[in-house]
Amino acid sequence: MDIILEARTVSKFFGGLIAVNEADIAVPRNMIYAIIGPNGAGKTTLFNCISGFYTPEEGQVLFEGQPIQGKATNEIASLGISRTYQNIRLFGDMTAIENILVGQHPRMKNTWLDAILSTRRFRVEEKAAIEESRQLLKFVGLEGLGDTLACNLPYGAQRRLEIARALGNKPKLLLLDEPTAGMNPQETNEMTSFIKNLRDELGITILLIEHDMRVVMGISENITVLDYGTKIAEGTPDKIQSNPRVIEAYLGPGGAALSEKYRQRKNNA
Amino acid sequence: MSENSSPQSSKIRISPGQIARLSAGIAVIAWMAWRLYTVLFVEAIYGIDTWTRFAISGLILGGMYALIAIGYTLVYGIMFMINFAHGEVMMIGAFGGYFVFEALRNIPMPTPEDPKLSFLNAQPLLSVLLAFLVGMTIAAIAGYYLERIAYRPLRQAPRLILLITAIGASIFLQNAAMLMFGPQRQTVYNPVLLTRGTGWEIPMGKSVVMLTYTGTFSFVLSILLLIILYLVVQQTRLGRSMRAVAHDKDTAALMGVDVNDTVSKTFIISGLLAGAAGVMWGIHNGLVNHFTGFLPGIKAFTAAVLGGIGNIPGAMLGGLFLGVVEAMGPAALGIDFQLKDVIAFSILVLVLIFRPQGILGEALSEEKL
Amino acid sequence: MSNSIRNGLRAGIIFGIVIIFLFLIGFTLIAPELISKLYQGSEQTKDFNIGLLLPNLVIFMGLLGIWAGITGAKEDEPDTWAKAIVAGLTTGLTTGLLVGITAFIVGTLYQNEVDIRDYLVSLSNENIILFLFNQNALTGALYQFGLMTITSVIGGILAIGVGRASWRKNLAEKIGDSVRQTASMPKVAGTINSKYTRFALLAIIIVISFALPQQWGSYWNYVMGTVGIYVLLGIGLNIIIGWAGQLVLGYVAFFAIGAYTFALLTSPEPHHLEWNFWFAIVLAILAATLSGVLLGLPILSLRGDYLAIVTLGFGEIVRIMIKSDMMTGITNGPRGLRDVGGPTLFGQDFSTDINFMYLIIIAVLLTTFLAYRLQNSRTGRGWIAIREDDTVAQATGVNTFRSKLLSLALGAAIAGLAGALFASRNQFTGPEDHALMVSINVLCIVIVGGMGSIPGMFLGAFVLKGVPEMLREVEIYRLLVFGALLVVMMIIRPEGLWPLQRPRIEKYDEHQKQIPG
Repeated sequence: MDIILEARTVSKFFGGLIAVNEADIAVPRNMIYAIIGPNGAGKTTLFNCISGFYTPEEGQVLFEGQPIQGKATNEIASLGISRTYQNIRLFGDMTAIENILVGQHPRMKNTWLDAILSTRRFRVEEKAAIEESRQLLKFVGLEGLGDTLACNLPYGAQRRLEIARALGNKPKLLLLDEPTAGMNPQETNEMTSFIKNLRDELGITILLIEHDMRVVMGISENITVLDYGTKIAEGTPDKIQSNPRVIEAYLGPGGAALSEKYRQRKNNA
Repeated sequence: MSENSSPQSSKIRISPGQIARLSAGIAVIAWMAWRLYTVLFVEAIYGIDTWTRFAISGLILGGMYALIAIGYTLVYGIMFMINFAHGEVMMIGAFGGYFVFEALRNIPMPTPEDPKLSFLNAQPLLSVLLAFLVGMTIAAIAGYYLERIAYRPLRQAPRLILLITAIGASIFLQNAAMLMFGPQRQTVYNPVLLTRGTGWEIPMGKSVVMLTYTGTFSFVLSILLLIILYLVVQQTRLGRSMRAVAHDKDTAALMGVDVNDTVSKTFIISGLLAGAAGVMWGIHNGLVNHFTGFLPGIKAFTAAVLGGIGNIPGAMLGGLFLGVVEAMGPAALGIDFQLKDVIAFSILVLVLIFRPQGILGEALSEEKL
Repeated sequence: MSNSIRNGLRAGIIFGIVIIFLFLIGFTLIAPELISKLYQGSEQTKDFNIGLLLPNLVIFMGLLGIWAGITGAKEDEPDTWAKAIVAGLTTGLTTGLLVGITAFIVGTLYQNEVDIRDYLVSLSNENIILFLFNQNALTGALYQFGLMTITSVIGGILAIGVGRASWRKNLAEKIGDSVRQTASMPKVAGTINSKYTRFALLAIIIVISFALPQQWGSYWNYVMGTVGIYVLLGIGLNIIIGWAGQLVLGYVAFFAIGAYTFALLTSPEPHHLEWNFWFAIVLAILAATLSGVLLGLPILSLRGDYLAIVTLGFGEIVRIMIKSDMMTGITNGPRGLRDVGGPTLFGQDFSTDINFMYLIIIAVLLTTFLAYRLQNSRTGRGWIAIREDDTVAQATGVNTFRSKLLSLALGAAIAGLAGALFASRNQFTGPEDHALMVSINVLCIVIVGGMGSIPGMFLGAFVLKGVPEMLREVEIYRLLVFGALLVVMMIIRPEGLWPLQRPRIEKYDEHQKQIPG
């Protein structure tokens, strides 16, 4: 199995608080992998460790076998990792298509000198990038909105734009932080099939944080559950669903028994 | 966010920024050490009396800086902005004190012994008290309206915008003062009791060191006000509100703290302290004009940063420290006295480059991602 | 009704204080003079012609009064005439009272030969006399009171008209919308942005800018030359602040380094170098760029306000050092450098006013061209991304450190060029040319003109440098207005007078300059 991303005993402390406690994750290439857990479990912190926003105090993060912890985030982007954010962080004062163009930044080579002199490299690259951005706009369903300022787009469009920007990098690994937050069921379904499409059509490995269990159980192939920074379970959706520790993490102590009782009643009804 | 040193496995990454900083730091320290050595041992021109004189004037200056610095630190604590116009608030206080003295100086209270006696000299204590009351009040009012008019509408705006507004307010106030009162520096006529340059004479070394009345008065008052402020912040409800808002504005609001009110009161308190410093400045240094607040403002800000922005004891200590360094610095480093402002600026630059959280550390929750 | 009274009171107090302030700074004397200049052309008699100025004062204060009344009444969206009139009346009475009492006090002091000018310097005799309508204290005060009251009531009445004139606002909106819509229609947009229109526009601009200096005369050449140099500075600082979002307050330092490098290389003293103009300019630019890079390396990772203060400190350090006795050996200290070299073209002296203006124009055109090229490029987008969200920009792949350093280097280079040109044109430079005020001026140009927008820089430089040069009388109020302008602009229009407009890339391709099929 080709493991594209691995986190080995990653720990992150904030002063006295242990946000992530020796987490181990191995994501095979082309998989849709989810990290779930109750609020405050350390999911986004782990994400931040993987994407370079934080440097873990302990442990390693390996991308395609190479350690990346401690690297600057722009380097990590150049390696082929892109991400989206829990609370959307677009470049509000730029148009949608410009946001996507920035996403392509690491793949473009022209410098300021090229720009000033309008060299051939500059013109060719820009043209290609713009065309590519148009394609991405279409791909995420935002065709025609390319020249709108990002801050003026409706919420759902902004989420999709953020993904388009992340895709601009032609990433091998895409980290999605709660991609369906704030969406209604229909939008959630669309996003879910969209994410699956990303993997199927573009061959991108997806690592996602999600709260919406339908999404998680629907498309994830493997799930890691965090609680208070520690990994408490890992496995396929079925195994996770019936794992009593996981249920207790969400519902509290006695939750497993409660859930079991509920299931009995459902089966008997 | 950039410089991350990581644990066991990966190699040490040094950014060009770090190299630049390191070399700059080493260069500065080396230069300072060389100068200090030269002045203290090789040339040794200054005796203990001179150093004491420097130290005394440094402490007096430092007290005033501390008062102004608290204003910066308090405002930064609750609004995350540098109140660029704070120096002008001090200037307004200084003018307040000046005008009171002028008015009282022109009220005749003749006695048989002295037919030309004025209220100012007949009732010096009352006059000084009045000057401080008026100066501090006017400065507080100025601070209050500054916040209401220029800063409150921009509460949610990005920091850059607030900074520019503050600069604009500063320019406006400076020039308003200049247009109204003229660019000339006005002489402050103290009551005779508090004549500048008079004081207790203390023999030291080969000569005599003077502890001026104005200086002692200023210093003692500064310390008093600083203590009162510290108690207010630590013990009173208002102080708790201020600390709460500084820590987390939204949660404080949810807990029932009236954020607008707390912010206003913070500006009022900053204004009071800066006003006091302004009146002291007039009494001790004797000259006020529209520009009086500019340099002390920047230096007090340096002091606040030095102590750790948002950290109140830090601002106090930073102020005193900066005052002393500014007074003793040019002599200690053997450079021109003209360059004493450069010292303050350089300290600012150095602190911000090498230890932006200040000596005592910031007492703020740093914004994370 | 009590609402109206309260609003009226508040407006009255505000306007009262404002008018008193204007009186105290002498503007109540200047404004009538300006008004008379308006309808009488620029030949002003230096004498104090009370007959001429009095009606102008009435107009000036009357307008203020009306404005006060409108403000007092408008707050409430008055629906009845009664409310409006009450509000206007309250405003007027309050304003009138405040102004009248002030007039009375000042007038009495004046009549008793008390020289208030010791304390309030702008209360010249002319100012006071005019303010009192050339009457004694009591009568003058009453006149003021009456004027304020009456005009405020008028204002209150007008407020209803203004309030109900929502059709005016709608009309403005409709016009704006239809203009925008037309402009974005493909064919129209295509034409506006097509290569040919651009070319034609450019040609026109070039022709005009080369014809004008011949016609203007040296005064205008001087003023416009200064404007041009500030346009350069604006564009340079715009790259740093407007695009990359780095608040650098000590910009004048680079200007100074450019000016001084150039001056030292071309001035006979103190080093007896008299190098070639062009060579010196290049070196000046390089020196400024180098200092930009050196400054940037340690400080670029600081957060916004700290960066601002550090750069401010740096600017001041540079100026104080230049001026200090310590460096006088190198920089000639407070005396400055004279006989700075002028441009030579193929050996001949090129330094007439007109030729220098051409030089400045060329520099401006070149820099603008550079800036536009950068704006719509990967680099330019990288900068704006950094400005919007530094952390995310870096995570998206922008090398933020290098990008910011580049912006600083380019901005410094442009400032160096501007400094060299400035020194050369004035044939002199000294520490006072490089005070903090220059930084603040340029900052205002960038902010008021429109952060990030290149045409905004032109507008800003013209408004903030050109207009004051032309209105010499109000020179003393310039900084006051600057300060107020900054605050007001930040509150009501932080994007500036000519805001940055993001390019429309999707609909048509900027680089191909045609509409995609």
